[in-house]
Amino acid sequence: MASDIIKDLLVSLAAILFFPGGLFLLLCGLLYEWIDRKLLAQLQNRIGPRWFQPLADVIKLLAKEEVVPEEVDARLFIGLPIVALAGGLTAALYVPFAGLAPSHSFNGDLIVTIYLLSLLSLCLGLAGSNTLDRFSLVGATRTLTQLFSYEAPFLLALLGPAFAAGSWQIQEIATYTETRWLLLSQPLGFLVAVIGLMGKLELPPLDAPEAETEIVAGALTEYSGRGLAIFRLSKGVTLILGLTLIAAFYLGGVSNPAFFFLKTIALLLIIVGLKALFARLRIDQSVGLWWRYGTLLVLIQWLGMFLWGGVMT
Amino acid sequence: MEKVQTSRSFTVPIGPQHPALKEPEHFLITVDGEIVTKAVVRLGYAHRGVEKATESRNWVQNIYILERICGICSHIHATAYCLGVEKLAGVEVPPRAQAIRVLVAEMERIHSHLLWLGVAAHEAGFDTLFMYSWRDRETIMDLLESLSGNRVNYSVNLLGGVKFDVDDELARLIYDGIDFLEKRTQHYLDVVTSDAMFLQRTRGIGTMTRSQADVLGTVGPTARASNVYRDIRVEAPYGAYGDFPVKIVLDERGDLEARFVVRIKELFESYRVIREILDNLPAGELSTRMPRRIQEGETVSRVEAPRGELFYFIKSNGTDTPERIKVRTPTICNMMSVVKLAVGHQLADVPMIVVGIDPCFSCNDRMTVVDRGQGQRQGWTWEALRRYGIRHYQRLAR
Repeated sequence: MASDIIKDLLVSLAAILFFPGGLFLLLCGLLYEWIDRKLLAQLQNRIGPRWFQPLADVIKLLAKEEVVPEEVDARLFIGLPIVALAGGLTAALYVPFAGLAPSHSFNGDLIVTIYLLSLLSLCLGLAGSNTLDRFSLVGATRTLTQLFSYEAPFLLALLGPAFAAGSWQIQEIATYTETRWLLLSQPLGFLVAVIGLMGKLELPPLDAPEAETEIVAGALTEYSGRGLAIFRLSKGVTLILGLTLIAAFYLGGVSNPAFFFLKTIALLLIIVGLKALFARLRIDQSVGLWWRYGTLLVLIQWLGMFLWGGVMT
Repeated sequence: MEKVQTSRSFTVPIGPQHPALKEPEHFLITVDGEIVTKAVVRLGYAHRGVEKATESRNWVQNIYILERICGICSHIHATAYCLGVEKLAGVEVPPRAQAIRVLVAEMERIHSHLLWLGVAAHEAGFDTLFMYSWRDRETIMDLLESLSGNRVNYSVNLLGGVKFDVDDELARLIYDGIDFLEKRTQHYLDVVTSDAMFLQRTRGIGTMTRSQADVLGTVGPTARASNVYRDIRVEAPYGAYGDFPVKIVLDERGDLEARFVVRIKELFESYRVIREILDNLPAGELSTRMPRRIQEGETVSRVEAPRGELFYFIKSNGTDTPERIKVRTPTICNMMSVVKLAVGHQLADVPMIVVGIDPCFSCNDRMTVVDRGQGQRQGWTWEALRRYGIRHYQRLAR
């Protein structure tokens, strides 16, 4: 009996620490970051990094001294990146990753997951406003402004499939979409979800919060060494979880590992293409984009769904 | 680090070290939220004492040193200097040499404008355009290298002529390169005038009216984008521009988009002039004899650099070294417009407005000794200036 409990515990621990959560997720995040960087480089007529470059970057950053600036709350400064990464890793428990069923599941875990994923932006904003650096402050303001603008449309876009499946449990929605490509019935929701993910990760053209030519590195200007490495890792985790959610909800499910990688990488290709195509939006322009078009598109989508539901019954 | 003020407005320092700036310069931007309420510029981080250095070198050595004032428009500096010195010496330069000078100047303009296009796109976060325009710029860099052996400081000019000739093989290479670039430039013109996302960052941003442009004393493409008729190549043709006239490119709008359009349209004009020169390259010598000592006198030499009017004042005292050389680069004329235009715009637009004048900071740094009515006249020697510079930068570093 006792050995069974220990065995269960070990299995869960392995699931959280190594596969599919934890280490495997981090490495996948790095792999996707490499695909992103390499493809973007190719699209921009550059050569791009070698396959181990993101890992090498993280190792180098972890080995570097972490400078804590004067007059900041050192506990917050060190703790925030860890909270951001922890949020991403916890969210991974509820997401059907690499074709496996999520290790935890309860009714309403979709909302919890979305909020855990938002921890990244929140931590970035707090990290920026924790320092006295003016670039960080402007960056933090922009990060939080962007959070408040993309979050509602992004949430609504992910609730569309939930509405169609009649459940707020990721596992059930994923089972429902396994046989249906919701991309076909909810194209607007898909579009908003993809761009919402880009906003969450502050990717170009929605990278005003870390616009290099204006505010250096935005909220992360003062970060070096370990903190920066962990923030980068948590961005990787958020990227992969976001891709998984969108692929599971809109692209006909991810229960097959091969399809999982195929679909998430295809989605990544779309995002990289968008990154290469556009000039950076100013923060007021991206807020306008979200509230004027993003939200409107999702609402039109919802209206269509309600009307269609009415017609069918 | 200075403490942030408690009120909503605070200052964001752009520079001396900042990713938006390729050279050290200090812009102190006061923002209220995201809106710029005040902008101050502080020059002088890359002062090199070039003017002073010329006074202790002879006329020939000075070509070398003046060509290094700017890393982008190096040839035009040497051209302005050589034209001035030749005027002082009363030497007539062979027409073939004049034509080759203009040829290289226009090739340099192409490389400078394409470089600017990339930098400006990068400031707007449009890195794809940045990478593409710099890739195409390699074409003209390779051509300049095959002409002179150098990619940046071509050293084409001599006092009394040029060093390098253009033969048929090279001319064919240049024709081919220009044909390729013309196609690409048309594409870039389409992009900057039709890409909706990019236009959001350029249309109506940093608008300078014609009267503002006049009052602020802007020069070059920055002024021409505000419909100011100001181009030395047209107004006072020098070198071979008399035989190969350029059409002035103007735009009425005065915003960032207009500055993109003017510079890109000038590229077409450069392509046309280069083809015309290669078609009708005058035969003859490449250089003529110059005296070692230049007769006493002073002169002014004006040329159109890629960034605008470049002004040289040259004074000779009859020896083999100049008495005084004064250089006024276009960036210093345009710099005030940045400070003026930035106010009222968003912080995100400031790097775009700065880069809109195509700044070249190390060219524009000057040192002025202000004498507050004490009436002391003080001559600085090269050694004194050097010691002062070392002390000054040590103080800045502390």
